[in-house]
Amino acid sequence: MTEKTAYTWIDERLGLSELAAFARHKTVPVHSQSFWYYWGGISLFLFLVQCFTGVLLLVYYRPGAEAYESVRQITFVMHFGWLIRSAHAWAANLFIFAILVHMFSAFFMKAYRKPREFGWLSGMVLLGIASVFGFSGYLLPMDELSYFATKVGLQIPMAIPYVGEAIANMLRGGPEVSEFTVQRFFALHVVVLPAIFLPLLAFHLWLVQRHGNASPPSEEVKPGAERKSIPFMPNFIRKDLAMWLISLNILALLASVFPWALGRQADALVPAPAGIHPEWYFMSPFEMLKLLGNVLPGEFGEIAGLLLFTVGIGLWVLIPFYDIGKTSGQRARAAHYFGLLAVFALLATTVIGYWTIR
Amino acid sequence: MNYPFWDIPHLGSGWVIGIIAIFHVMISQFAVGGGLYLPIAERKAMRMADKNMSAEWLTQLARHSKFFLILTGVFGTISGVGIWFAIGLTHPEATSTLIHNFVFGWAMEWVFFMVELTTVAVYYYTWDRIDPRLHLKVGWVYAGASIATLVIINGILTFMLTPGDTWLGVAGTGHEASVFWNAFFNPTYWPSLFLRCCVCASLAGIWALITSSRIDGDKHLALKTSLVKWSVKWLVPSFVAIPFLMIWYLMMVPESQRALLSLGIDTIGAGTFSVITRIALVIIVTSATVVGVAYYLAYRNPAEFNLSHAMAVLLLALIATGSGEYAREMLRKPYVIGRWMFSNGVRVPYVARINQEGYLAHSMWVWNGPVLNDRITSMGITPLNDPNLSYTRGEAIFRGECGSCHTLSGYRPLKELLAGRDRTNIGSFITMLQDYRADSPYRRFMPPMVGSKQDVDDLTDFLNAQVNSPAAKPVLAAATK
Repeated sequence: MTEKTAYTWIDERLGLSELAAFARHKTVPVHSQSFWYYWGGISLFLFLVQCFTGVLLLVYYRPGAEAYESVRQITFVMHFGWLIRSAHAWAANLFIFAILVHMFSAFFMKAYRKPREFGWLSGMVLLGIASVFGFSGYLLPMDELSYFATKVGLQIPMAIPYVGEAIANMLRGGPEVSEFTVQRFFALHVVVLPAIFLPLLAFHLWLVQRHGNASPPSEEVKPGAERKSIPFMPNFIRKDLAMWLISLNILALLASVFPWALGRQADALVPAPAGIHPEWYFMSPFEMLKLLGNVLPGEFGEIAGLLLFTVGIGLWVLIPFYDIGKTSGQRARAAHYFGLLAVFALLATTVIGYWTIR
Repeated sequence: MNYPFWDIPHLGSGWVIGIIAIFHVMISQFAVGGGLYLPIAERKAMRMADKNMSAEWLTQLARHSKFFLILTGVFGTISGVGIWFAIGLTHPEATSTLIHNFVFGWAMEWVFFMVELTTVAVYYYTWDRIDPRLHLKVGWVYAGASIATLVIINGILTFMLTPGDTWLGVAGTGHEASVFWNAFFNPTYWPSLFLRCCVCASLAGIWALITSSRIDGDKHLALKTSLVKWSVKWLVPSFVAIPFLMIWYLMMVPESQRALLSLGIDTIGAGTFSVITRIALVIIVTSATVVGVAYYLAYRNPAEFNLSHAMAVLLLALIATGSGEYAREMLRKPYVIGRWMFSNGVRVPYVARINQEGYLAHSMWVWNGPVLNDRITSMGITPLNDPNLSYTRGEAIFRGECGSCHTLSGYRPLKELLAGRDRTNIGSFITMLQDYRADSPYRRFMPPMVGSKQDVDDLTDFLNAQVNSPAAKPVLAAATK
């Protein structure tokens, strides 16, 4: 009785029963490619893990000149500090991986078509912010590897004509990567980026709820009677939660068996160690620019590489405005091949990048 | 030291046992749990009031028993023999000790094993061919025999962790077998047995989910629902009892070894043996996840439970079981047989003698061993490796004393662990391991370095050449005895 009264009291104020009714009526398509529906949820889960572990790391992390020492204490002194740090770092990598899988599955299911254009666009911006999250977080331990990788990474904006150097200096807080850079990246990582990311994420999730899950074209052509679906609540949510549990498990396994290492303290005066390379999710653009630099050496090659990359990303982002048909036509096929080319280019350049690390 | 060294570069010989053992445990514990699952399920089906459902259950159980027969009878058997080969090559001294103590234990186990193999074949091939009650009895005989194998092997496995004071009192006298039952029912025997029984029951349910998941939920909804739900219930004993059993088990483990579990709480530093803490975390998380996923995906949603879901549960169970077996092995450090034999095969009471006489004086199979070297020379062959070279002696000592747990550049790589140290530092480190002081942090998980002063120098030269090569090599050429 008390429970019912309490629920009624809350319901009258928050409208929980309306939400529950909405969830009960909402359905999720079931077909041979349903597996890919879970990747959005997995990405969300990994983001939540990062929020939680990030807050815990904040308790001990000290940006600036003491950055390395504080991470050393977290990793080698605090009880289970290494676990929180490993979980944070691994979750960040898995997060980007999950977003990429989510993006490509949405692409090949044509989930960017009307009326889901904003879902696609907001997703792309979220991916962009996620990679900046990764880039800014990578420097924070200020060990040898993160220092030199950031130094190399910040060479890229230098290639932008006229304003490149100014942008790089602004990001670095000076002409060199230093404790000021750490301070800036820290502010970016824990304040600026979340402030942009969270509302955008809410918008993205709202769009997903509004338009529901898109079916692949092969399902769209089937008559309504032949299409299967399951209720969002509780069937899909239950499976989604199980996927979260499995993701948590993979994360725990990686964080425990392969704890995130901490290298030597960064020293600007020593030469860069051999094999410095960007994180795996930046390896493809890094390698593309490198390959293009071999073909077109000098500043011209750098500018051409940046241009090519920008055009490629632009085309990718604007695909909903090209492939607008409901049925499989010439544009749909062209978009599909473009997607395949993108996957191949990403994989090939990443593999070549790792293959040629020295 | 009485046997040749089995050198597995990069992977390390311990992992050869590990990989085979984890695979074997997943199947052999299914053989025990599944052995109970089948007759209990068959009995349940025979007593069902709904005859159609009963027939459907029995048909499905016949399918499951085929899967069971192939998996346990083929892969379980092959991997079991594989373990024998692997432990014999990797830890010949420990294997020898076990055989000398438990030869009759193993003989009993093999008798039950033969009964198992026979009855499982009879059970599968006599569905619908003999009286159902007799068929059920065959199932019960199989279940009894398979439990008996667990009861026996559990005594031998737990002995290695906690041989008990009685056995240790007679160890090395030649009368060890006289205290067979003391060694068998050692301090960790009962908690380990109950733990394994719970794991067996869980694996029976998890493997049954594999076959149940393949039932077409659209055509046989009632069958799939009832079988999937019933199989998930086999995980309940583990979920309830394992936390308590684990506490009981750990209470029976000596304090010094229990302390290993806490080494990784505050560090991941190289050489701190923090891995066991991390693996313990994996066991906890993965086991809880198995229960959670089985509940959400299978019990609450049986009609939609498919093979991918079942494989996910199985994979998680594989990780939990593998981690559990790995942690159990690690908990024995620095021994392979608790307080009697160090993990590199050196018997605890022999340390002083070897320190005095030298490690290689007792190694009959190295190229400068007294027997082998004389034999080669008497055949008119000059040994390829100059026995006087410190470098070759050092390599032999490395293989004998370090090779059980370390490789040069793969698993627990010494090149990496000793990186940044010069010859003096490496020498100091090895001397520290030889001193084996009570307050040495390495004493908690590493055996002492045993051997003469010359052995320490030889091992230092070898490791220095590996870590600091090639600059250090010219020095080695001159470092002769």
